Amino acid sequence: MNCINFVVPMNPCPCGYYPDLSRCRCTPHEVRRYLRRVSGPVLDRIDICVEAHPVGFKDIVQRPAGESSRQVRARVMEARRIQEERYTGTGIRFNADLRAADMERFCNLGTEQKRFMERMFASMKLTARGYHRILKVARTVADLAGGGKIEEEHLAEAICYRQMEVFQ
Amino acid sequence: MTYQNAEKAYVHWMYQAAGMGGRKVLEALEKTGTPEEIYKLAVKGKLRERLAGKYGRKAERMEVEACSCGVHDIQEAYRQMTDRGISFVTLREQEYPKRLAAVPDAPYGLYYVGRLPEEGKKSIAVIGARNCSEYGRVMAGQFARTLAAAGVQVVSGMARGIDGIGQQAALDAGGYSLGVLGCGVDVCYPPENERLYGQLIEKGGICSEYPPGIAPRAMLFPPRNRIISGMCDGVLVVEAKERSGTLITVDMALEQGREVYALPGRVTDPLSRGCNELIRQGAELVESPQKFLQSLDTGFDGQMSYSQMELPILDSVQGKLLQLLDFQPLSMEALRQAYRDTYGTYMTVPELCHGLLQLCAMDYAGQVGGNYYFRKGK
Repeated sequence: MNCINFVVPMNPCPCGYYPDLSRCRCTPHEVRRYLRRVSGPVLDRIDICVEAHPVGFKDIVQRPAGESSRQVRARVMEARRIQEERYTGTGIRFNADLRAADMERFCNLGTEQKRFMERMFASMKLTARGYHRILKVARTVADLAGGGKIEEEHLAEAICYRQMEVFQ
Repeated sequence: MTYQNAEKAYVHWMYQAAGMGGRKVLEALEKTGTPEEIYKLAVKGKLRERLAGKYGRKAERMEVEACSCGVHDIQEAYRQMTDRGISFVTLREQEYPKRLAAVPDAPYGLYYVGRLPEEGKKSIAVIGARNCSEYGRVMAGQFARTLAAAGVQVVSGMARGIDGIGQQAALDAGGYSLGVLGCGVDVCYPPENERLYGQLIEKGGICSEYPPGIAPRAMLFPPRNRIISGMCDGVLVVEAKERSGTLITVDMALEQGREVYALPGRVTDPLSRGCNELIRQGAELVESPQKFLQSLDTGFDGQMSYSQMELPILDSVQGKLLQLLDFQPLSMEALRQAYRDTYGTYMTVPELCHGLLQLCAMDYAGQVGGNYYFRKGK
């Protein structure tokens, strides 16, 4: 069973500014070489890649718009509760525990969504593992939004979290 | 002039044996006798006597070469080369490109695979920085595509960046493109352009003044630029820094009496400084591919032979997003902010992801470096 949370920071290039081309001093080759240090198989096992953006002066002095940590926490707790309820009696605790065989039952897609994923599978050259990981993340996105069925937009968000691979 | 095959093998031997930059010595040799006679003189060690003093060292070199190379070897080497699809043409022959032949320091011989440009059609060199910006990438693609679709032949150096992008776009539009290499025509340099290299051989051409097998070396590249400009009627500079190899080609083009066109850029952009400087010095400023084409006097009537706007219709969210995208990649967070600043409402992250992925799927947008998105040239 999956029982570790693997969280790791990384720079986008040797100088740290890529893809802000007005500040990045690296050549495309240097960027590629730098990113290639994380191998494809390792990246394939990472579900979510997000960029941390530089914090501006406004961000420091102003109250940020959007949800507070307290609100987000409440949403996470609710998503947890939804999952607990869904998986009672199955031995599964979270979406991350789902195995390939469980996909059909718990991450079922409608016709539209399947067609969308078919296109993405081809254009992103996904692996079977990558595909299932996207479904699991999309399941979680849907749970955070209230636990209904997985919509195209949930899949899109999950896919965007894997965009690191595209330019490998 | 045309050579018999057996005779051509001797010409080829002579060209190789004389070494690089041997045009003058080759012209002096022509006066001495037929290629076969020259080979025989070299074998006997009598070539030095026939050539005036300043070619003494070249003659000596040729004598050494001749001794290590029998009559059969010469024929066999030439046959093997042509069997591999590599052709060899000299200044004295009809097939040698006329535009290049008129250039004072045109190479004596030229190797090529695929086809050489057609004489009756316009040829334009699309050149620029290797490390180009998104703007340059988009523009090189647009201009080359439009030119090629209207039957203009796109010539360049198959380099990284602008060169390769322009040539790929020309081929994609169903046009002709010629790659001029700074190494043998059987060597793909840079290696990442292997796909383009294959397509050029199939649908266009690859040429070089260097014999097959010659590896790329820094000193070989500046001379090949004279061939790029020499093959063309004009040179279009898409992006260039203030000091760059691109500007060497421009200098050659001016010496050869070719038109120079440059695409303007922002004054703050180092990659456009070379272009802006060229415009200041009198290069013609180009803005739109269509207008450029009309000014080339190709008989182009404004009708594109490829359907320019057969694009899927965007729904309103996608259209709004596309307006926010720039040629400079923007992060998803920056786009979300821009969306709010422009339209007054926030998009949810899933909505944003979905919209961007669809724009990418339709090729309106592209994605780099994680979740950074840019606008493509459609």
